[in-house]
Amino acid sequence: MAAETVRSGRPVRRPRRRIHPAVVGALKLLGLAVVLLWCLFPFLWMGMTSLRSGSAAITEPNILQGPFDLSNYREVFDQGFQFALRNSLVVASVTTLICVPVAALAGYALARLPLAGKFALLAATLVATLFPPVALVNPMYQMYLRLNEWTGINLLNSYAGMIIPYVALTLPLAIFILATFFAGIPREIEESAKVDGATPFQAFLRVVAPLAAPGVGAAAILTFVYATNEFLLAFSFAPNDLNVQTVPVFVGTFQRVGYENPIGQVMAASVLVSIPLILFALLLQRRIVAGLTSGAVKG
Amino acid sequence: MATTQRVRVTSGLGERAMGRIFLAPSFAFMALIALFPVFYAIVISLYDIRGFSQEFIGADNYVRVITDSGFLDAVWNTLVFTVASVSLEFLIGMAFALIMHQVFIGRGLTRAVILIPWVIPTAVAAQVWRYMFDRNPGFVNSVLGTDINWLRDPTWAMVGIISADVWKTAPFVALLLLAGLQTIPKDYYEAAKVDGANALQRFWTITLPLLRPAIVVALLFRTVDALRMFDFAYVFTGYSNSLATLSVYAQRYLVRDPDLGYANALSTVTFVIVMVVGLLFISRMGRHMVGDVARKEK
Repeated sequence: MAAETVRSGRPVRRPRRRIHPAVVGALKLLGLAVVLLWCLFPFLWMGMTSLRSGSAAITEPNILQGPFDLSNYREVFDQGFQFALRNSLVVASVTTLICVPVAALAGYALARLPLAGKFALLAATLVATLFPPVALVNPMYQMYLRLNEWTGINLLNSYAGMIIPYVALTLPLAIFILATFFAGIPREIEESAKVDGATPFQAFLRVVAPLAAPGVGAAAILTFVYATNEFLLAFSFAPNDLNVQTVPVFVGTFQRVGYENPIGQVMAASVLVSIPLILFALLLQRRIVAGLTSGAVKG
Repeated sequence: MATTQRVRVTSGLGERAMGRIFLAPSFAFMALIALFPVFYAIVISLYDIRGFSQEFIGADNYVRVITDSGFLDAVWNTLVFTVASVSLEFLIGMAFALIMHQVFIGRGLTRAVILIPWVIPTAVAAQVWRYMFDRNPGFVNSVLGTDINWLRDPTWAMVGIISADVWKTAPFVALLLLAGLQTIPKDYYEAAKVDGANALQRFWTITLPLLRPAIVVALLFRTVDALRMFDFAYVFTGYSNSLATLSVYAQRYLVRDPDLGYANALSTVTFVIVMVVGLLFISRMGRHMVGDVARKEK
């Protein structure tokens, strides 16, 4: 407000009409409510539909109309959804455990160590994040068949058959995030460790790696989410064996299993996988945002 | 610096050797699992493979790709989906980011909730939206008061997958843009106010230019993701040509109509299309991102 009185030398401007602050505040809160509603309303529909049983769920669009019970959840477990949850957890965890340490080494090398052609390597890593997974589907399927012919190792319908391409596809982004984090750690910390007699490797392991924990966490979360989300490769390499089938494949191909309209069961499965993932997102919110925005806003 | 050079002991691993050793596992793995299959796909795409018979046919599969009306449909579907979903996501994401940037009460809560659509697997979100659009029980029809067969009509099915994708990723775009908004110093806005700039002028001359890096990154992520989209199209209508994207069309020849030579030609063409678009983006802004790491390193 004080600023308005300062402009004495300029042509007088028509005074702007001030909207009452309470109205502005109310409008802002309304905007926020729109954002919240946008994010959450499908979950309300999903949750209510999963509880509705009988023919009303298929013919009556009003989600508040019962009868309600837990029969959909029972049926989903009868069909082995718990195995899909286990499979997704195993595949995503192993992918993360392999990807992040390997990416941390490369990220550190790219951020700190003397390397020829570092700019080109960083650029190549960035370009590799563009890689379309569909380019792997057909050649890898053929490679898995050949491998089976030659060695007897069958990677189709196996955890490893999914984890191997997942690690390759998540490495570039993880390397890029970690390189950004390592580059942000002050160089003096390592230098002083070396002055104290640490070798470069000790300086990395004992001093720098612990400081990069937030970056490691962010990379691990993004890798884990990628692996729980992936559908195309899982569906191509492990389509219907319940011992290895992941959640996206179980849910995404559900309508092709039964004869009845399985709307309630699909929604029950969706609720069951959403609850842990939503808790995951809420608990790790800060780390996720840090990972998603690293490199995006600086520069 | 001079003193540390002197102190640097030669025992243990030297820095140069360590750099190579640290880099080797990642780059070897990516080359073996991602790059090698691409070249292998090119080799297979030169053959006609049916069952156990293989016959070298040169570029015939590629001639077939560019004259295949199903493939051309897939290119068109992918293009429509990408342009529509990315522009809507950008507009809505920008609006959400500006709202969240303005509000203080409940911002933390909103920032957490906005991650929820992003963390849900796309195939699961696709099923939820598919059933919301489905005529039975007809939730979307009852809300809109329409009687549309969303899943059977090609145009409306496209509207359906675009809505579902915009729902899932507009919040993600908002998050990236919000992070960018928070780096713009408040003083700039104060100074512009003193100079008599109205809200729209401030947005146009301060917010947009300074937000440019965040905008370009968000558009890059979203465009490349939209170009390689598989989940929504497959879950909504299966392999039907009316909605098949490039990824759906290439995957279809693996299992449903096994024809590995042709499938690999399709994979290769899709790979080239996605990489060319991505490289166009990166050549415009990549130096920013790569330079960021390189600059900090000094």
